[in-house]
Amino acid sequence: MTGRRGGRPLVPAYLSTGGVARPSRPHVERLTVLARDGTPLPAGLPAAELALLELLSGGALTVVEAAALLRLPFSAVRVLAADLVDRDLVQARAPIPPAERFDPDLLKRVADGLRALKHQ
Amino acid sequence: MIELPELVAGGLAAGTLSALALGGSLLRSRRRRAALMAEVAELRAELEGAEGAFVAEVEHLAARRMPAAAAQLAHPHLLVPGPVRQQTPGTPTGMALEYVLTALREELTAQRTRIDAAAQAGLRGATREIQAALYRLQDALRGLQQLYDDPELAQTLFALDHENEQSLRRAQVAAVVCGAWVGLAREESHVVDAVTGGQARLSGYHRVQVNNHLEPGTALVSHAVEPVAIIVAELLDNALRHSAPDTDVVVNLEHVHHGVCVTVDDAGLGMTQDERARAQRLVAGTDPILLTDLGDPPRMGLAAIGQLTRQFDLSVDVSSPSPYGGVRAVLRVDTHLLARIDPDERPPSASAPRSTRERAARTDPVRERNRHETAGREATVREAPLRETGARETAVPETPVSETPAPETASAESAAPAPPVPAAPAAPDRSGPEDEREHEHVPAPAPAPGREEPGDLGGLPQRRRRPPAAAPGSPGVPRPQSAARRPDEAAAALAALQYGTAAARAPKRASTPEPHRTDEEGGAAG
Repeated sequence: MTGRRGGRPLVPAYLSTGGVARPSRPHVERLTVLARDGTPLPAGLPAAELALLELLSGGALTVVEAAALLRLPFSAVRVLAADLVDRDLVQARAPIPPAERFDPDLLKRVADGLRALKHQ
Repeated sequence: MIELPELVAGGLAAGTLSALALGGSLLRSRRRRAALMAEVAELRAELEGAEGAFVAEVEHLAARRMPAAAAQLAHPHLLVPGPVRQQTPGTPTGMALEYVLTALREELTAQRTRIDAAAQAGLRGATREIQAALYRLQDALRGLQQLYDDPELAQTLFALDHENEQSLRRAQVAAVVCGAWVGLAREESHVVDAVTGGQARLSGYHRVQVNNHLEPGTALVSHAVEPVAIIVAELLDNALRHSAPDTDVVVNLEHVHHGVCVTVDDAGLGMTQDERARAQRLVAGTDPILLTDLGDPPRMGLAAIGQLTRQFDLSVDVSSPSPYGGVRAVLRVDTHLLARIDPDERPPSASAPRSTRERAARTDPVRERNRHETAGREATVREAPLRETGARETAVPETPVSETPAPETASAESAAPAPPVPAAPAAPDRSGPEDEREHEHVPAPAPAPGREEPGDLGGLPQRRRRPPAAAPGSPGVPRPQSAARRPDEAAAALAALQYGTAAARAPKRASTPEPHRTDEEGGAAG
């Protein structure tokens, strides 16, 4: 056996989505941030979607993080997330681009401009 | 002289007498002989009759009774005809003929068992190889599922994985029927995982509806996991196969006094009395299994269940009809095969249905607190989401009031998420335990939903989230938490401005011109 925890998983990934791997909306990416909104849960959600909602109730997560925590492949969690977004149970936000530092030169120029204003 | 004739007369008389006597005995002997002859003739006739009857019996035995006895071994409902003559059974001949039949039956049974064992050995060897190959294929497919996320490719991989599971089930069942080991050692696992895993091995798994009424954390000891999964898969397969495609198959997991019961109900045709008796005999696993008894093609499901119930001390009952009209199959797992897993440390698989007990235990206090009794049972699914969303709802309308000086940051916040998402990917994780401890005693009743426990993923780094709403009672805590980004940004921006103005003012007061000031001004001017 490999070093996987728990050995071979008993429940295959396709069961979580009912065998569907094509997400209902194309915009869910690996780093899309999922966050729950406060709408009450409707009855009869599939177990895996409930698990994802439970996970998101602790705070926002990206899709890959949720996949790692649920131990499902990303392709399955993407379907779950897209379905939950369709039902307005979860909000998806586009991946956050890496923050850019402000250009120090520009900042200096702004400060100098302010100083120049002050002097006059 | 006188003496001589007297002597003659006496002699004559004696002669006559003896002649008479001789004649009488001769006559008698002749009569006896005649009687003897008649008796011999009668006996010979009788002997010939008996021989004929015996030959007829043996011919009857060879032509009718022996084939019937041989066929009866395979088809117990066949009748073996009796002897030709009614009076034969009690006689030594009749008993000898019965001995022949008994010996024939014994020998045939022995031969059948031997031939069947050879066939089973062959099948066992083949299926074991196939099973191992399918497990390797499964590993490869799951590796690919993790690697590639193109939807079309993922769809194909899911389909292949499912096909592979079904083939694996067939191979495994054939191996088990042939007396092989189940072929896979598993860790202790949740009962619901074993049941869901069994469900996933079937083509019609969409129709299966699992209701989990078990205490969270109810698990199977390691050697019982795979047998339970196989048994559930076979019971479900029977149920799916014998019910209409638009009906559901309902599985209930319940605690009973001696362990756990898995009840499979289908709404199908049901079984006749005979079928039910046969199925019950097979799943009881008391009789040895012969491949030749299983039909052509062999129907192995029930026989595999029988093997497993015998080997692993499980019990399966299929003798009662279901209230839905079909068959009710009940698998009972006794207490000595049950274990306990901490559901927070090792949660059941995401696809496994949540326990209704967990839901009931957790939702009750929440229901009192925030009156979210809208959509019945499912609406109030878990404590954590509701409590958190409740807190968030109260926090959201308050933030604009407190954050009036920074409206532009608020609009920036709507584009970027409020919680510190990519803030610290690895750093807080590495500093692990003390960080976590801080979290635990700073906000007292922080509801940590079980999945955040550390070390779950086999040493992989895991980002730890801060609970967004620490204490639902105190309104002061969630506000800075949810608005954490904005004051920081505002403070940074204001500090920069302040620093700039302060720096601009400073040289005037101190009248010590900084060396680079002129450069800056030059830069600003240019």
